[in-house]
Amino acid sequence: MSSLLEARNLSRRFGGLLAVSGVDLDLVPGRLLGVIGPNGAGKSTMINLLTGQLKPTTGTVRVDGRDLTGARPWRIAHSGVARTFQIVKPFRGMTVLDNVALAGLYGPNRIRRPATARRSAREVLDRVGLGGKGDLTPGELSVADARRLELAKALALRPKVLLLDEVLAGLRPAEIDPALQLIAGLRDEGLALLMVEHLVHAIAAVSDEVLVLHHGQVLARGPAGDVLADDRVIEAYLGARYAARARSKEEQ
Amino acid sequence: MSQFLQATVYGLLQGCIFGLVAVGFSLVWGVMNVVNLAHGAFVLMGAYMAFELNQAVGLDPFLGVLPAAAAMFAIGYLIQRGLVNLVVNAPIFITLLLTFGLELLLVNGMLIVFTADYRSIPTDYAAHSITLPGEVHVPVGRLIAAALAVALTVGLSWFVRRTRTGMAILATGMDRGAARLMGISARHVYALTFGLAAALAGAAGAAVGSVTTFSPADAGRFTLFSFVAAVLGGLGNTYGALLGGLVLGVFQAWGGQLLPGTLVNAVAFGALVVILAVRPQGLAGRAFYASRVEV
Amino acid sequence: MTDVKTDERTTGTPGTRAGAVRALLRGTPENAGLRQAIGWGIGLLVLIGAFGLQTQLYTGQVRTVSTVFMFVGLAAAWNLIGGYTGYACFGQVGFFGLGAYSTAILMVHAHVSFWLSMAVATVIAALFAALVGWPLLRLKGHYFAVATLGVAEALREVVINLPKLTGGGAGITIPTFGPDAPTPWLGNDGFYVLFLILAAVAVAVGGVVAVSRGGYALRGIHQDEDAAAAMGVNTTRAKTLTFAGSAALTGAIGAAYAFQQTTLFPVRPFDVNITVLMVVMVVLGGSGTVAGPVIGAVAVAYGQEWLRQHITTGHALVLGAVIILAVVFMPQGFVNYASDAARTGRLSLLDNVRRYRL
Repeated sequence: MSSLLEARNLSRRFGGLLAVSGVDLDLVPGRLLGVIGPNGAGKSTMINLLTGQLKPTTGTVRVDGRDLTGARPWRIAHSGVARTFQIVKPFRGMTVLDNVALAGLYGPNRIRRPATARRSAREVLDRVGLGGKGDLTPGELSVADARRLELAKALALRPKVLLLDEVLAGLRPAEIDPALQLIAGLRDEGLALLMVEHLVHAIAAVSDEVLVLHHGQVLARGPAGDVLADDRVIEAYLGARYAARARSKEEQ
Repeated sequence: MSQFLQATVYGLLQGCIFGLVAVGFSLVWGVMNVVNLAHGAFVLMGAYMAFELNQAVGLDPFLGVLPAAAAMFAIGYLIQRGLVNLVVNAPIFITLLLTFGLELLLVNGMLIVFTADYRSIPTDYAAHSITLPGEVHVPVGRLIAAALAVALTVGLSWFVRRTRTGMAILATGMDRGAARLMGISARHVYALTFGLAAALAGAAGAAVGSVTTFSPADAGRFTLFSFVAAVLGGLGNTYGALLGGLVLGVFQAWGGQLLPGTLVNAVAFGALVVILAVRPQGLAGRAFYASRVEV
Repeated sequence: MTDVKTDERTTGTPGTRAGAVRALLRGTPENAGLRQAIGWGIGLLVLIGAFGLQTQLYTGQVRTVSTVFMFVGLAAAWNLIGGYTGYACFGQVGFFGLGAYSTAILMVHAHVSFWLSMAVATVIAALFAALVGWPLLRLKGHYFAVATLGVAEALREVVINLPKLTGGGAGITIPTFGPDAPTPWLGNDGFYVLFLILAAVAVAVGGVVAVSRGGYALRGIHQDEDAAAAMGVNTTRAKTLTFAGSAALTGAIGAAYAFQQTTLFPVRPFDVNITVLMVVMVVLGGSGTVAGPVIGAVAVAYGQEWLRQHITTGHALVLGAVIILAVVFMPQGFVNYASDAARTGRLSLLDNVRRYRL
């Protein structure tokens, strides 16, 4: 199946630092690509490159065949790509409902009347589990609910491609499973998903394929089990000594 | 040609004073993200302090720099600690309005006390000129003022980089939350910074008083020039403000030679706008504004 | 943690009249339509009252009230870019002066009628804003504030230095009587009505934007521009349109000002203190609200007049002190303070200090 979002040779340089280098990826409907890597590996930068918050130094980004390299974020949103932010960015002066309604008003569907957008926003809130909390302000939400709001804002764009940046961060163990179910549900509905995550077992549970970023480059790519057992990946996360020890243990 | 050289020298000397005024302004902006619209008023307060001391006990205005700076430090510290700290976390036009109200208060207070008459603090030596080759005259007073300005800037830079207190100021400017976690009292550090800036402005004022005439109505002009110099030079860099002041001074001097009337001001503002649009971090600064982390 | 929300004190017992009134004051999605209708109704009543007021005033008062209307319009216009969108433009007076001088130049040099001149001046101000907005709206916070200030100052200097066109420092005078005059002077009563209509238009624009789809975009840009962009808002277009609209209204008011004054000198139409007054009015009244600029403008304009008449020396000093006090104790402005108080029942002014202090 042709990829909905295709990145080729994506790089971004900040002065002397090459934050992302030569990254290729394809996002396909109904499949979830997990992205892992040590802190500072360039995961968030990569998402910013794909969604227009940053312009790539080199490389191309195509959505549904159209070249959208370096396009402004709203054009990316209109082409069916939505994202969540690692540090949630709600509109603090608006109600939860209005937060989500904005996506309806300015997303690809271009709803004209605020009242209509609010009605449609209610459905999205129900979907993510925030039904009934529409009148609260973001400051009054718990961490888990704040993450739900962030997801709701992205889903309200009715995207074809969804990029999730550490949505599980800060969740209690009991909250993670429902979140993973929700995400798996989105994948099963046919969304093309990318999920940056630190929780390895979560990634393993829900990814069809895993990409490992290290120092801005793709270190390994493949099914979760293979990637997580890869020497180089272990070395990147835990250091050469531990990798050697793990290897020698395996050889015994 | 000699006229051009003369203008350049004048511009550099004037620019040093702009630089000194701008250094304090830039420090407050860089550390606390407060644009102090009353900064020009501080300059005038220093000038009037030196003036009064000169009238009362005949104190040489260049010596008057010290008490003026000391008094302005205390005043600045109190203003920050008691007033500006109250709105530090508010949106920027709140702090802008606060400092604007302060400016109204201070300038009109000075107008009532000192009237709008132009004053100056004449000394025997300030009007003499050293004549350099090329028929260039360097007024002694301006030379001393410029030297003072550079010395104070160097002193501030040393203080900020080499002393514990100075580094506390820098640290608080970079990440207030982290600095507080290290045991730094942000309230005190902010007040120190503001006090320092006021002291430098007061010192500049005393120097200005000895080389030219002044009146409370000049306050706004000094604030605006501080802003231009600070932006030109870039925030987060003490020498940047001095550099910005020099560029502004020379630019004004050349502009006065080449352009009719006050058009040079229009060009200066136009240049400011262009710089802000093209390179907001100025000549020497980092993109300080964008890199703030606030707690 | 959520006591305030569920407290009986604030929600009232559902079904009772007190509960319904509280709900109305608080504002829920259900009664949004009713609240809007009430708002427009009140606005219309105030407008009618203002028209009627004219018959009760004598000439000196008519001019004073005209000036109040002028500031209401200016404040409402600034509120669009500064209040809703959060881009504090400190060069707003530049559009005022541009509108004023465009009108004067057209009427003096080209004998264009006032009405046509005002229309052209409005367009000029809007286009100029779009032009300078293209580089400047990329700036944030203080940079935007003082870059726009720089533009306004530069405009004034340009006007001073084009004496053949603008009269320079000697001023420019619009002929208002006799055969030379493109349009006869409107008279104090005429200008009263003109400024009132301009103010009403500015406030109405604010009202329409506040509840419209565009208002959502502006609020989004204000509260988190990156998030708004990621959700499909073309932030560049929204900001530029708002900036141009705000400038157009300001320029139109400047045009009326020019005709009213008949003689213009560069200092007053480009006076930075006018911008500051606008900002103070909006902030004190309630930035980002519809009624805030109106309340703030009326209060500050009358306050200034009163100060000027009763404390001849040092009225500016008192104004400075008042600004400081207001900004410390009521930075969100009166309208927001009142609506917060109605919602939460908390009247303390110290809350604001606690919220913003270090």
